[in-house]
Amino acid sequence: MSKLLEVEGLRVSLPTSEGRVTIVDGVDYAVEPGEVFGVAGESGSGKTISMLALLGLLPDGAHVGGCAQFGGRDLLRLPKRALRDVSGRDVAMVFQDPMTSLHPMLSVGKQLTEHVRRHLGLSKDEAERRALELLEEVRIPGPRSALHAYPHQFSGGMRQRIAIAVALACGPKLLIADEPTTALDVTVQAGILRLLDRLRRENDLSVVLITHDLGVLSSIADRISIFYAGRVVESGPREDVLQTPRHPYTKALLDALPHPEASERPLVAIEGAPPSPARIPSGCAFHPRCPYATEQSRVEVPPLVEIGGGRRLACHNDPFA
Amino acid sequence: MSALELHDVEVTYERRGRESVRAVAGASLIVERGQIVGLVGESGCGKSSLARAAVGLVKASAGEIHFEGREVAPLTRRARPRELTRLQMVFQNPYSSLNPRRKIGSQIADGGGGGRKRVAELLELVGLPPNAATRFPHQFSGGQRQRIAIARALAADPSVIVLDEPLASLDASAQAQIANLLVNLSRELGLSLLLISHDLAIVRHVADVVSVMYLGVMVETAPTRSLWEVPLHPYTEALIGAVPLADGSGFLPEALPGEVPDPAHPPSGCRFHPRCPYAFERCPRDEPPLLPVTEIRRAACWLQEPGGPPARPAERAAQLGVAARVE
Repeated sequence: MSKLLEVEGLRVSLPTSEGRVTIVDGVDYAVEPGEVFGVAGESGSGKTISMLALLGLLPDGAHVGGCAQFGGRDLLRLPKRALRDVSGRDVAMVFQDPMTSLHPMLSVGKQLTEHVRRHLGLSKDEAERRALELLEEVRIPGPRSALHAYPHQFSGGMRQRIAIAVALACGPKLLIADEPTTALDVTVQAGILRLLDRLRRENDLSVVLITHDLGVLSSIADRISIFYAGRVVESGPREDVLQTPRHPYTKALLDALPHPEASERPLVAIEGAPPSPARIPSGCAFHPRCPYATEQSRVEVPPLVEIGGGRRLACHNDPFA
Repeated sequence: MSALELHDVEVTYERRGRESVRAVAGASLIVERGQIVGLVGESGCGKSSLARAAVGLVKASAGEIHFEGREVAPLTRRARPRELTRLQMVFQNPYSSLNPRRKIGSQIADGGGGGRKRVAELLELVGLPPNAATRFPHQFSGGQRQRIAIARALAADPSVIVLDEPLASLDASAQAQIANLLVNLSRELGLSLLLISHDLAIVRHVADVVSVMYLGVMVETAPTRSLWEVPLHPYTEALIGAVPLADGSGFLPEALPGEVPDPAHPPSGCRFHPRCPYAFERCPRDEPPLLPVTEIRRAACWLQEPGGPPARPAERAAQLGVAARVE
């Protein structure tokens, strides 16, 4: 199948008080049409920055390298104006806090209609019909009255649904969702996950789902990529990666989670903390925390290589092979 | 005598120009010595208000709160009575509960006096090196800062610590470290912990007993394992069913229909009835009390009967001929 998005060798560095710091260091991945691609990692692993880079949403002074093919064009080399057209229409994004993308002073209807009028050139009446459709699509109760309400009148879960409706307004091919359920209760989270799952089935939408929660990825992602310190350490089909992890970091992340069948034993915590992007360890960035690290891990960066079955792994030792 | 006892506690917030809100509407909870009690529920259920009332940070508008048999008076401008300092609290966000301009050592010493040696002991207790004392909060990761906040609470030589979402802002690896630390501290020091959390999976690992709160009231209390094996209240069942598992199976967790109602206008009868798949005639009419279903379990649901036998809501509904509503 042809890829919807193909990212190769993505590198991002940002100016900080500690000098120029590489946040994303050579990341490769591809997203296929209609799939949910999960990106997991702890804070500071570069998972969000690598997505913001695609949409040109990085702060001033950022250096970006590599390429990101989307619909025959390299997003990283598009002029700002062209990128804005793509990012408004074909690629959309929702964030952890829906209030970062919703305007607090504009009615829900205004935010939905403005978007479709700008990017799709619809008339006022057509835009309003489309807005109503979108609210129904994301299951906002009483969509007609919701059009005239303001974001603060809704609960966190409903706001996230509205943010998703705004993101879907122009019929994007790709939705990037950055921790969309992290701030929500589990009962509400389950509703948003079901919504995303339905949207990708019914609308042939691809979703990049960024989260620190492997449980969330396990419920809707088709393939997943595990980020650590600005690199991908392991990727592959959801079931394989989560059931038979091959990278010691993936294994450790899974062991640190509360497990229903073993609630009596203590959680197996990973020693130490993820490194700051300004002080990434040499060789394999995970080596200081890895029980399987060897001399080679300390000096040589392990490349991300194919290991069969659509899986890729960046580990010199592959202890769980 | 229990370590901490809350009886029919109410917390009411007055709002200028609008009707007041009863965030906690008569909730009872007991923490025994050395026990870890988990308090779970969705945001807005009143669990944080109850936690704050338990340590005297907000005033309970009704009910009784006793710490080691002594009444907990709300905090005033005066210093707390010495005995009450053994009841401590740790907050969700260690970034805002620590002073960014002061060194760790002096902030920990604030908690209970003692010199450098005592501070070093406390740091060791939470797994930090002694030289952490001379550094500032920004030099630590989120997990380490939460350790520091715990060390400061321990400085007062507490017998009970109330922790409000202590793991919520941490990454998975730090979360596991802090969860294990809390269990070890409780076991080693005989500490009682009241752990408030929205994360059921972690509570399951840590707590001995769990109380489930919905819209200001307790709906179920049980030893952790039996609560998970056979939830008695439909709300507990829904909460457990909504937790996603990282087993790679692609199983989509169940969503609970509807939203938590406005606590200023709670539904009549059982507060959960508008969202409950098993609600029947009695539920919108009468509010169910938290009744003992077995010796060790309590539930506030008309499907259950005092004396049991305890059974899942679906099973009880079938026995009683109540048709489940499918959304």
